[in-house]
Amino acid sequence: MLQVKDINVYYGAIQAINNVSLEVEKGEIVAIIGSNGAGKSTLMRTLSGLLRTRSGAIRFLDEDITDLEPDAIVRRGISQSPEGRKIFTNMSVHENLLIGATTRTDAQGIKEDMEHVLERFPRLRERLKQNAGTLSGGEQQMLAIGRALMSQPKLLLLDEPSMGLAPNLVAEIFDIITDVKAEGVTVLVVEQNAHKALGIADRAYVLETGSLVLQGTGQELLHSDKVREAYLGG
Amino acid sequence: MKFWAIRVGSILLAVLVSYGIGMVAQGSSGTVSRLIALAGLYVTLAVSLNLINGITGQFSIGHAAFYQVGSYTAAFLASQLLARGTINNLGTPIPWVLAAVGIAIVTSGIAGFLIGLPSLRLRGDYLAIVTLGFGEILRIIIQNTPQLGGSYGINSPKAFVVPYVWMLAFLCIGACRNLLQTAHGLSFLSVREDEVASGAMGVNVTRVKVAAFVLGSAFAGAAGALLTFNEGFINVNSFTMDVSFIILTMVVLGGTGSITGSIIAALALFTLPEFLRDAPPMPLNAVLGTLAGVALLVGTIRLALDQKKLGRDFLTPKTYMGFGIAAVGGVIVSILANFLPALANRTIPSAELRMVIFSAVLVIMMLLRPQGIFGHREFGLGSIFKRAQA
Ligand SMILES: Nc1ncnc2c1ncn2[C@@H]1O[C@H](COP(=O)(O)OP(=O)(O)OP(=O)(O)O)[C@@H](O)[C@H]1O
Ligand SMILES: [Mg+2]
Repeated sequence: MLQVKDINVYYGAIQAINNVSLEVEKGEIVAIIGSNGAGKSTLMRTLSGLLRTRSGAIRFLDEDITDLEPDAIVRRGISQSPEGRKIFTNMSVHENLLIGATTRTDAQGIKEDMEHVLERFPRLRERLKQNAGTLSGGEQQMLAIGRALMSQPKLLLLDEPSMGLAPNLVAEIFDIITDVKAEGVTVLVVEQNAHKALGIADRAYVLETGSLVLQGTGQELLHSDKVREAYLGG
Repeated sequence: MKFWAIRVGSILLAVLVSYGIGMVAQGSSGTVSRLIALAGLYVTLAVSLNLINGITGQFSIGHAAFYQVGSYTAAFLASQLLARGTINNLGTPIPWVLAAVGIAIVTSGIAGFLIGLPSLRLRGDYLAIVTLGFGEILRIIIQNTPQLGGSYGINSPKAFVVPYVWMLAFLCIGACRNLLQTAHGLSFLSVREDEVASGAMGVNVTRVKVAAFVLGSAFAGAAGALLTFNEGFINVNSFTMDVSFIILTMVVLGGTGSITGSIIAALALFTLPEFLRDAPPMPLNAVLGTLAGVALLVGTIRLALDQKKLGRDFLTPKTYMGFGIAAVGGVIVSILANFLPALANRTIPSAELRMVIFSAVLVIMMLLRPQGIFGHREFGLGSIFKRAQA
């Protein structure tokens, strides 16, 4: 479904992504793990068209999307819940969700998806008219995921969805990710919480200072010595 | 169905009210009639700048430039018609006025587009400088173009435009309000909130920003065209930086993003100086003393408010002491000012006092209520009803 081939991404003179190639198949959960500054968010932003590659190609559903604008990429079916959630804090929960559907014109479909998202996140329904800035961290993360789902993505990008959440909420978020997959949405998730991410991932990659250094199924990496040592605390 | 009824109803009401205001203006003296027109123009200017600055979160401070483009478009057109004898000096017939407004909308919209483009790359202060620079450059170019009247100005036969001025104001208000109720309008707000996140959600940030500039400028341009026919004569002095700052003050004071706030601040800030116009010149030392006193007072209130936020009392001995210092400080400054040869026995004309008051009001707002009088809130008939029911 998604093929990334030898991409290089720079911030000015600093190279943040170095010859990265990866693939995501339809229906999978693919995890990318790596420590601070490895380039995970850079990769996600590049996939969404918010950053440009210096070389390499990104293909999605057999189409070259390397140079598409962010809104065109959302229209093709890739949406993102960005690192730090980035919800619109001065807008209501309802408005945040509507912005997620900004590329769509089918009023009826938007209504149905709104209902669907609110069923999945009942806490958001209770706070529909509330300013999104007043939500708790966990609720904000749910809003960010719900907002990304409002565009009817085929591929959902999640950048550190468990960041700063209490353990029970982390578990809840990962349950939601599995549910989303069960509904046929492919998921590419970036995580520092390697244990949880590898636990639900079909396949995973390890990113270190801009390069992919390891890949395998979730279970393989979970039990690999190298990963245990570097990311799972031995 | 009901939705359409409300919409048609509000349009009819706006037209009726505009004609009502027009009748009042016709019945009053020339000066009052002119002020009624100018008040409506300022409402349009403030609400349209609010679309760019408040709703979309850009920082344009040269709104007078687009007002000027519209005004000169209309004036140039009128002068051409006059030269051909299509219209005469007695007045411009309304159909020609409306045609001129239409063309002014196009020219100022194009100007907004050209200035909106750099806004894609520039942010905050940098964008502010570009917009301000554009206004100044335009003014100087016009000043040196004899075909546009140079520094003297252009005559254009007057027309009675008060009803149209207010219709434009209502149209501008209605357009902004309606915009905010559509999915499209939400994307304007989201760009203000967070450009990158909006982009990631598929909002076409480029298009939203440029659209805000084009729409905002087009409304300002239409206002400019009506100004031309209201005044009968315009020159570049009507479009100085001061005018841009006054419009900006209205938006900031009303609460950036709040349409209601812009309207109220526009009316208040427009009428206030009209009262000051006939005021005698003020002694400079008294003005300085007052400013110093107000500054100390505001500082005290800000500190006390911060204390209150921490759960302490607002009125403590220290607060009272602050009030005392403010009063004494003000008096001392005004006395001292008279000892300085450069400041002694000077007066400030009321026109300049206006700018002093504007600046002071802005600074006070920034300190005490940075979100503006209305913040992001709106106040409409709907919310009044809701509050009455509750
Ligand atoms: N806007 C920027 N300008 C310059 N350098 C940047 C910028 N954003 C990120 N970088 C650099 O690029 C590298 C990768 O950053 P990135 O945010 O992608 O890491 P990450 O893997 O997401 O880290 P974290 O787990 O902390 O979120 C880092 O060295 C970072 O300093
Ligand atoms: Mg990151």
